[in-house]
Amino acid sequence: MKKTILSLALVLATGLLFAQKKTTTSATISFDATTSLDKFPKADNKTVIASLDTKNGKLAFEATIKSFTFSNPKIQEHFNSTGWMDSDKFPTATFKGVIKDGKKVSYTKDGVYDVTVSGDLTIHGVTKPVEAQATITVSGGVIKTTSEFTIKLEDYGVNGGAIAAGKVAKEPKITVAADF
Amino acid sequence: MLTTKITKGYKKWLIALFVLLLAGGAVIWWVFNLKYADTADVKADYTVNAVDFIKEFRTDMAAANKKYSEKIIIVNGTVSEIEMADTTANIKMIDTTANDAYVIFAFQQQHVAEAKAMRKGDKVSIKGSCSNGLFSDILETEYITFKRCAVNK
Repeated sequence: MKKTILSLALVLATGLLFAQKKTTTSATISFDATTSLDKFPKADNKTVIASLDTKNGKLAFEATIKSFTFSNPKIQEHFNSTGWMDSDKFPTATFKGVIKDGKKVSYTKDGVYDVTVSGDLTIHGVTKPVEAQATITVSGGVIKTTSEFTIKLEDYGVNGGAIAAGKVAKEPKITVAADF
Repeated sequence: MLTTKITKGYKKWLIALFVLLLAGGAVIWWVFNLKYADTADVKADYTVNAVDFIKEFRTDMAAANKKYSEKIIIVNGTVSEIEMADTTANIKMIDTTANDAYVIFAFQQQHVAEAKAMRKGDKVSIKGSCSNGLFSDILETEYITFKRCAVNK
């Protein structure tokens, strides 16, 4: 009887340890829209929700727009205003996609894997397909994912005088990182 | 006589323009050099208990967001998890009786060490700027995010 209970507990524990859908609520997204004229439009968000399904390579992110933190209160105010991100109307930015070449990643063995991620990125209520290079590092049971890419703000209906005036980059650099 | 009057009027306008430019420059310099104050020194708008706070958002998300979004709030509760985020640490308070809905606190750079010193189960008081509350499609539960946090002393 004891052996049966022990075996069941072991099976359950193993199942939990290697659960396929892994999540975090502390992924980070940073963006850098600085130009030679303005060093202020950059921010980061460290409370992003992310999930990774290690079986099928599905990857998802949810970022609260109001959680992007700037050093300057006025710039943060502008960022959230109706003329920019309109964060009351569009409170999140999301990504839903898949690791295209996920089969080459072994999530149970330490290693570094360069992969391609593709999916739908929704910002400011506009959804566009995107594709980016990413790195997956498996080390001691922790899966680290990182990616850097750029987006065109006008593709997402984000326009403003500051972009035309060269104070905000037309194509800011986005950096995403999540540990599972 | 007429030339002197014109010169004097011209000078007045020139001085006025110079003063205006100076004032404008000062305003621009002030705006661009604004920085957030240390949250530890900012007066809180509300003091809440974490479980009641989560319940308020779950009951009426829109009303709670209207009331708390971008306000400085002191949240008293128990640390459920400490999550590393890049080089910093986030503190989470989870209501396990409410579908694991949670509040998460990202700390101001100068207060990150305070977050790292916390342990699961600690009863803490955290002050920060409430971003807003939302429903997560990924986690299928409600969550509330805070930024620029510090330990409330």
